[in-house]
Formats: sequence, structure tokens, C-alpha cells
Amino acid sequence: MRASKLFKLARSNLVRELGALAVSSGGVALGIGCLVFFLALGAGLQGVVNEVFPVSTREVEVVVPSMAIGNLLGEARLDDAVVARLRKVPGVAAAYPKMSLRIPAVTRYNGLFFGREIHMGLEVVGVGLMPELVGEDARLPFQDRGDGAPIPIVVSRRLLEIYNKVFAPQRGLPRLTDSMLIGFQFPIELGRSYIAGKTMPNAQEAALQLVGFSDRATLAGASMPLTAVMRINRRYGADADNYSSVLLRAQNADQVPEVAASVRRMGLEIDDSERNRALQIGAAVELVTLALGILAGLITGLAAVNTMQAFYASVRERTREIGVLRAVGATRGDVAGVVLAEAAVTGLAGGVVGVLLARLAAALLDRVASNGLPDFPFKPSTFFRFQGWHVALGILVALAAALIGAFFPARAAARLDPAKALTES
Amino acid sequence: MSEPAIRLAGVGKRYPPREPGVAPLDLLIELDLTVARGEFLAIEGQSGSGKSTLLHLLGGLDRDFIGEVRVLGCDLSALSDQELAALRHAQIGFVFQSFNLLPGLSALENVLLPDFFGEGVPDAERRAREALARVGLADKGQSPPAALSGGERQRVAIARALLARPPLLLADEPTGNLDAQTGEGVISLFRELHQEGMTLLIVTHEARVSHAADRVMVLREGRLAAEPGSKHPLESE
Ligand SMILES: Nc1ncnc2c1ncn2[C@@H]1O[C@H](COP(=O)(O)OP(=O)(O)O)[C@@H](O)[C@H]1O
Ligand SMILES: [Mg+2]
Repeated sequence: MRASKLFKLARSNLVRELGALAVSSGGVALGIGCLVFFLALGAGLQGVVNEVFPVSTREVEVVVPSMAIGNLLGEARLDDAVVARLRKVPGVAAAYPKMSLRIPAVTRYNGLFFGREIHMGLEVVGVGLMPELVGEDARLPFQDRGDGAPIPIVVSRRLLEIYNKVFAPQRGLPRLTDSMLIGFQFPIELGRSYIAGKTMPNAQEAALQLVGFSDRATLAGASMPLTAVMRINRRYGADADNYSSVLLRAQNADQVPEVAASVRRMGLEIDDSERNRALQIGAAVELVTLALGILAGLITGLAAVNTMQAFYASVRERTREIGVLRAVGATRGDVAGVVLAEAAVTGLAGGVVGVLLARLAAALLDRVASNGLPDFPFKPSTFFRFQGWHVALGILVALAAALIGAFFPARAAARLDPAKALTES
Repeated sequence: MSEPAIRLAGVGKRYPPREPGVAPLDLLIELDLTVARGEFLAIEGQSGSGKSTLLHLLGGLDRDFIGEVRVLGCDLSALSDQELAALRHAQIGFVFQSFNLLPGLSALENVLLPDFFGEGVPDAERRAREALARVGLADKGQSPPAALSGGERQRVAIARALLARPPLLLADEPTGNLDAQTGEGVISLFRELHQEGMTLLIVTHEARVSHAADRVMVLREGRLAAEPGSKHPLESE
């Protein structure tokens, strides 16, 4: 029996039983709708987490242990020699040393700030990064041009987000976009601290120029070119040879534990608090997605039971017709095939409707969120990310649920005694 | 000459008691019957005498019997379910009292029903139209069964039975649900098929059907007997 004929016969039966079809398909659609909805929600939230904690699963930050014996003996250090050794650790693809600005610095801004008069002074926390790490995020050159020239800085994208969503609305300050800020210059006083209330003897005025926003930039402070920080540290007599940390990028995420172990054997420590937090939140989102997915699976399971009942009823009702099919030459297998083909159509219809329902619900929810929820940092324009495999899985599960549900009814239909079936009134 | 179309030898059918304490029902007892190829046999019998049961045995739809049933050279007891299905598909046409058309299919699709199964039917579409034309319903192919009269439905059912051009037609009270005039049309159709060489076995309790047959037998109390006065081609030699 050819599939096209099978489905033609199945369709003719289904058209007659649109009501039953709607009930079975509807149940499947509900389950699949939930499944696809939750999967897309999980993926969407995972995306938000990645935005809030832009850490790569391939990267770890190496620091000097704070309480190490070696440290007391002056052994554990992060100088160029150690960085060179770190680069040779098996599994390491790249190493990017970072150095903190080891002298105090403040910025004072008095004047117009996008149409508003402001006066503020801030301690500047500076970190030096290798330009390679910032890469394309810098729209203007991220290079130290020596004494007297403005120092280019990149700022955390998260900082901009928090400014725009929390700080600016509270103070009535304008919201800022990347392009408004790039190129913006403001003064900095090196060697001076408001908090400590002191000024170093050779304190000096300089300028900072914002050249970009980057996930690589430090969250609290300004990220400068590494060479600029080294230059300033050296000039003020601070340590300019030992790095504060080294970002290690593994060849792949699986190698991270191995790399971390090698690093620890070198007497160094891994600062993975940020990475762990991201992984933990990611895992939590995954867990919740899984739980909701299982719930959706249960609903789909109920739909399968519902489909089973509907098909039992349908087979019972069509007993005589099944006898007729056998009389014109259908085998038991053919009869089962017809019932299963009907189930397949029911399941596919349910799957497609379910996917559409999920998309509809997601669109509604996004609209409610965008209109009803206050703006908060990292508020996404959509909480959902529908991926091809969500849809494929949804339709596959729908098909499977309907076929599993119809399995026993199909078998019952196949086992009908044709002579008895034909005498059924 | 080749084997007869149908040969029954010592065929019995017993239904187990429906409730405990009641005697089992011996519906068919020690039946012997030979139907020659090309013969038109009518079997009369009152309601409940076992006519439908006998047809189901002959069509391999009911395998629970004793004795030997040979149809078109095949010993039905020796065939598998699959082989029986293939036999029904290619060699046997069934016509029922209540037509048994599938309500979800058009008249033409109902005629095409055998083509859905087995190896299909060669040139099915053309044959189906021919079969519909043959029963006088060339223009009703697209009609659903619900839009047809009883006589038309039975003619669609006959066209369906003819699609695979089987040598044997088994009909179970084909005129039982038809009025006299439409019944007459169906009977003359059977007569034509007979003239073309088809073997027909029709069970009925209507004398007008029997009149068209070569031979008439009566099923009574589980046994088959030649109807008194009926000609018997095998015995007349
Ligand atoms: N499954 C069964 N169990 C017991 N008796 C049955 C069963 N099926 C049919 N019968 C009996 O067989 C008889 C019907 O036989 P049937 O072949 O339908 O007769 P006809 O077609 O001549 O009216 C009835 O008396 C009915 O009670
Ligand atoms: Mg009957």
C-alpha cells in the first residue's frame, strides 16, 4: 500500500470526524505549544544572561593568590616570564595580561553634558587591557599615544546600560547611545584621590577619550591600553612589571578545567567568580527550562492518552467499514496503517498549530512586557528565541505523541475479525 | 476441466454458546457443494439460516470452520492472512445487502477502494470509470454516497466489486434493501455478468433473484438442499 493512497484514505476519514480531530489535535497542540514556548523562553533568557554576564566559557582569569606562601616569599608573580609560561600551558590558545592603574586618579566634570549643566567628581578605577582584546569594539584607535595625548578608554557596555536604565532616569539625565558618546573627552587628574584626600607631589592633568563600549571592559571603571597603564604606573614609581591578572583563553571549553589545574600547579589562582556566576545562572535557566519542558511533555502525554481514546472510539464506530476494507483486500497491516496515517495527520496538525500558538503567546507576552514592565537594565526586546530545532522537535514530538496514542487503537482495528466486523450493525 | 470455482466438503460452522449453560449453535452442518466456473448459483434461506456466515467462509473472512473450503483452486485453510487478503483483492468481489460504501469517499473513490490495497489495480482510474459507466452511473462519480439513491449505491458497490475484474462474485442479499424496480436493475446486471463468464454466488431470500440463477439451493437447519424443481447443470448430464 503506497503512502499517498494511505493518506488519501486517512484524509477522507478525518474530514468526516473533524470534531474528534480537533479534540485530539487540540490537545497535542496545547502540549507542543507549551513545549516550544518554554524552549524558546529558555533560549531567550539564556541570551539575556549571556548579555548580562558576557563571559566566555572558554576563558578564565589568572590572578596571584591573595594568601599564598609563595606570595609572601615574593615568588608568585605575574610578570612577562610567567605570561610566557602561561602561553605554553597545553590547551591555552591565548593569554592577555591586564594591569590595574596603581595610582589614584580622579575626574572632575563641570560643564554642559548633553544640554545639562553638571558638576561631578569621581574616582577613576583604571585597568589596562591589550588592544587585541577590545578589537572591533573600539571605534577610534585604542592605542597609547604617550604623555600629553588623551588616553583612549573603553567602557563596559553594562555600565552604559545601567546608566541609561537606572542612573539617567533617576537624575533626569539624558539617555545616551554609543554614537553620542564616542569621541567624548573629559579631564583626569593622575595622582590625586578625593577619598584618601591626598594629592601626590607629581600629580598631573591629563584627558581621557571614550573610544568605544566593550564587554571586555571592566565593569567598574575605565579600561585603558595596557601600555598606557604601564607607562603611568612606572612614572609614579608604582609596580609596572607585574600584571594584576591574565585572561587565558582555552582552545575549547572542555579544556578549561585542565588549563585551570595547570595554572594552579604553577602556584597561581583562578578567579572564576564571574564565570561561575554566569555558569550557575545559565544552569539555573537550563534547569527551569528543563522542568517546564517536562511539564509540557506531560501535557503532551495527556494529549496522547486523549488521542488514544478518540481513536478507540473512532475505530469502534467504523468497525463495519474496517470489515469492508478487509473484504476488498486490505490486510491487517493495511488497516493499522490507515489508522496510524490518520494519527500522523492529527499529530502534524497539532504540532503545526502548537508552534503557531507558542509564537502567538510569545508575541503577546513580549508586547505585555514592553508596554507593562518598567524599563530595566538589559530589558530585552523579546524574551524568546525560537530556534529551528525547537520547531522541529515540537513537530516531531507531536507526531510521536499521536502515533503512540493511536498505536493500541490501530492494533485493535487490525485485530478485528472481518466477518464479525461486517455483521456489526 | 480446471477445478471448480468453489468446492465445499464436510464444512461445518459452530458458534460457541453466548452464555454458559446453553448449547452451542451448529449453524452449518456437513456442507458439500460444488460451484462450476461460470455458474450462477443462488442460495435461498430464511433470515438467520447462516447465509452470510457461509459467504464469509467462502471469502476467507471467517477462518473458524471445520471441513474443506476450496475457492478458485485454493484450500482456504492453508492460506495465511496475507494470502487470503490477496485472494479477496484479486479474485473475489463482494456485494453486501447494505452496500457498505465509505461515506467519506466519492462514488468514484469508493469504486477505486481495492486500488488502495495490495499491489493496487492496474489502470485503476480508467477501469473505475468504465465500471461506473457499466452500472449506468458514469455521471455520478463525484457524488458522495449520501447523495445517491439506494439503487445507485448498490450499483456503485457492484462497480467496486468489479474493479479488479475478479472471476468470482459473492453477493449477500444484494436486493434486500432495494424496491422491486431498482432490484430488477441490479438483477439484470448480475445476469449480464454471468453471461460474460463470471461465477456468481448470490444468497437471498427473494425468489426474483433466484429466477435469474442457473441453479437454486436452499439453506435450512444448517444443511444445503437443491430446491425442488430447480435445474441442476451438473446432475442433468
Ligand atoms: N458470534 C456469534 N456467536 C453466536 N451466534 C452467532 C454469532 N454470529 C452469528 N450468530 C448466529 O448466526 C445466525 C446468523 O447467521 P447469518 O449467517 O447472519 O444468517 P443470515 O445471513 O442467513 O441471516 C444467527 O442465528 C446468529 O444468532
Ligand atoms: Mg445475512
